[in-house]
Amino acid sequence: MAESLGVQRVIWRFAFVGVATLIAFVQLLPLGSGSGGLPGPDLIALLAIAWVLRRPDFVPIGLIAVVMLVADFLFMRPPGLWAAIVVLGTEFLRVREQGLRDLPFLVEWGLVAGVLLAMTLGEALARLAFMVDQPSLGLTLIHLILTILAYPVVVGVTAFAFGLRRAAPGEVDDMGRRL
Amino acid sequence: MARDRGSSEDFARPIRRILVAGTVLVLLAVFLLWRIDSPRAERLRAAIVDRIVPNLEWALVPVTKTAEMVEGFQSYASLYDQNQELRRELRQMRAWREAALQLEQENAKLLDLNRVRLDPALTYVTGVVLADSGSPFRQSVLLNVGARDGIRDGWATTDGLGLVGRIFGVGQSTSRVILLTDSNSRVPVTIQPSGQRAMLMGDNSSLPLVEFVEDPGEVSPGDRIISSANGAVFPAGLLVGQVVLGTDNRLRARLAADYARLEFLRVLRSGGPPPIDQPGQLIVPADPPETPMPAAGIIAGEDSADG
Repeated sequence: MAESLGVQRVIWRFAFVGVATLIAFVQLLPLGSGSGGLPGPDLIALLAIAWVLRRPDFVPIGLIAVVMLVADFLFMRPPGLWAAIVVLGTEFLRVREQGLRDLPFLVEWGLVAGVLLAMTLGEALARLAFMVDQPSLGLTLIHLILTILAYPVVVGVTAFAFGLRRAAPGEVDDMGRRL
Repeated sequence: MARDRGSSEDFARPIRRILVAGTVLVLLAVFLLWRIDSPRAERLRAAIVDRIVPNLEWALVPVTKTAEMVEGFQSYASLYDQNQELRRELRQMRAWREAALQLEQENAKLLDLNRVRLDPALTYVTGVVLADSGSPFRQSVLLNVGARDGIRDGWATTDGLGLVGRIFGVGQSTSRVILLTDSNSRVPVTIQPSGQRAMLMGDNSSLPLVEFVEDPGEVSPGDRIISSANGAVFPAGLLVGQVVLGTDNRLRARLAADYARLEFLRVLRSGGPPPIDQPGQLIVPADPPETPMPAAGIIAGEDSADG
């Protein structure tokens, strides 16, 4: 990697937008429309979480906010609500990223599962408070469970296909600050 | 956490917190705006979708086609069975065709005798399905026809055979169809042959509920469901599907439209409900009736007349 960290960051940020676009694109394909199948995992939110826990400097808060807001608009969700919740969730994890570096993956998975549960509950409460129609409980639960189960897959793809790993101990940025 | 590791960035903490709070507030403001002024926010959504999705069309079309070809290839395996089944169906269809021809002639004669004029307003625009809703909780599709083709909110959409849904959200070159299976879909229907009125309520499953039947005893599985003109939502008489009894012992509708294969949809120029251009107002008749409520018998008489 000859590029400086600044160039790397820009490349990774574009990669994030690109992967999110690809996921949205696949989900928009008119293949399984209409049938009440299983609600798939929320891959874009998982992607943001997985990257925040690997290299938080590659996915700044503004990028997550914009990508999630556009996804809200595209996927017919109440615009802004889920985006705000994902931003809060990723910020919660971003602060704890350094503490998680030395811990096994299972701990990280458990923490992410807890955060996802809290995010889903928060969304349900917000929908209740603002009297937006609730999706049925069963579907929401299946959605949540599938999302939690898909997390290791997203992390695996992130690590092996993209080669995105945690910052090594002692790695510094251009200004000499520790990552 | 607070001990040592983040200490070098302590000066950045409060700024960071303000940034997070600001971002979340902006997002929640968008949400509140949507909640307060939903029609305008939905127009914004339609405009955004209109801007983004057609850009992906060049990629959407080949991928969809390839997936369909793979599906078609798999069905080669059962070609023989399919052939036999089709032959059987064809024999049945011949009998039906004969019956239909006779009925058509009879119908034409009767219409002529009655001097009935059929509604000429039901012309249609055909659109191609561009994209799915993308969300597991919403059942809708995006068509490649929009405001520039004269599409308006509320128009009924069929796939040529049965009712599919209604237009909900029109962009310049795209429009969204909310399917009958969406949990927000409520459509007044009539059940034949008993003529019972009911509501078809989507619940995200492939078989929407048939609720508010006047007399459930008169409805039995297998009855035909057609749209009714109640509430001026849809033109009357469009085929919707058949009544079936769900596994939860509630009346449900098996839809006539082929939901697994929505490709081309017809948007009927059906008038539709009055456009919503302001938030939160009751839609009432233009001139409220000044006469007191008529007797119950008259209401019942009217009901049976147009049902």
